[in-house]
Amino acid sequence: MSNDRSPDDLRTVWQCQPSETISIPVEELRRASHKLTRRVFWRNTREYLAACVVVVGYGSFFFEFQTWLLRLGSALTVAGVLWIVFQLHKRGSAAPMAKEMDAQNCLDFHRAELVRQRDLHATVWKWYLLPFVPGMSLFLLGQLQTTLSRPGASARQGAIELGFAAVAGFCAVVFAVVGKLNRGKARKLQERIDALDALKGPSL
Amino acid sequence: MPSTQNTQDNLYRDAAAAYGAALGRMARAWESDPDARQDLLQEMHLALWRSFSSFDGRCSLRTWVYRVAHNAAASYVQRIRRGKTTTLVSLEEVEASGESTSFAALPEADYSVEHAQILERLYVLIQKLNPLDRQVILLYLEGIDAASIGEVTGISSSYVATKIHRIKAILSDRFHKGGNHE
Repeated sequence: MSNDRSPDDLRTVWQCQPSETISIPVEELRRASHKLTRRVFWRNTREYLAACVVVVGYGSFFFEFQTWLLRLGSALTVAGVLWIVFQLHKRGSAAPMAKEMDAQNCLDFHRAELVRQRDLHATVWKWYLLPFVPGMSLFLLGQLQTTLSRPGASARQGAIELGFAAVAGFCAVVFAVVGKLNRGKARKLQERIDALDALKGPSL
Repeated sequence: MPSTQNTQDNLYRDAAAAYGAALGRMARAWESDPDARQDLLQEMHLALWRSFSSFDGRCSLRTWVYRVAHNAAASYVQRIRRGKTTTLVSLEEVEASGESTSFAALPEADYSVEHAQILERLYVLIQKLNPLDRQVILLYLEGIDAASIGEVTGISSSYVATKIHRIKAILSDRFHKGGNHE
């Protein structure tokens, strides 16, 4: 090799390096493939079980609470959590080695993943935040109703209402911040998608 | 089904025999930890074998193998890197950073040491790159022509040409021999 290494020299060095090669018998690959399928099955089962725990946990409140507002609030919270779990299951995790994506060209493969992430962030209001709103609102109203019905509460009604308004306002601010952060992430992901699209060249 | 399964098995055997070494190099470029690299390599082989159940011959075996291997490696690294904050960069950013790597001159007999040094630096450079640029430089180093790089990656031929130009500039700049100019 000459004193100055040309890119071609480097290619030669690269291609001549000792490489780790493995040879996996197809029977072993078949077993590994079944194992992967089983792993996905158990991962899904764990997610469903976790959803059941949430339903039972929140569902128990339904029977504990006395007022219909609190009961309805807890029922809607359970429905909201179930909706979120369903959405997360549907589009939350990157599908490992999905067959139909295996042989996509690299650019389309990365683009699909970025689009999935962008949609997840861009629609966070729809699938993550809004489902909580009805349950939480009724729950807060129910708590307010219960608190105001306690003896002596009418004398402090203004202060109690202000306190609940502050809690509701705080929740609204948290939701707005989460929504804004996610919109920002979606915008950044869109920029990366646009950059990938530019690499495809002008469309015919 | 047995004939489909046989075709799938045979395609995998052919691909593993022809591109096994390239897959090993690719795995090393994606994962520096030797144990994790073994897992990655196995995942690449598994993805390859599974993919051949739907191989329709619309692209060459080589293109198919490189696509599947890249996608498997990218998925694997994405899972492993989740939560880590290392920023990957583009070829353009690497070129703009202008770092260069000089090597002390080594006697003729130490060529293997010198090559190991070059490879180590190449791997460091490659592992800094974002997945798509990483694939382009890997394919370039494997000796794949620009048109085929475009077919594997989906990048238009003009952008592939630009990227190869950048790769050559980066390699020329970073891997020049220092201290031996007579």
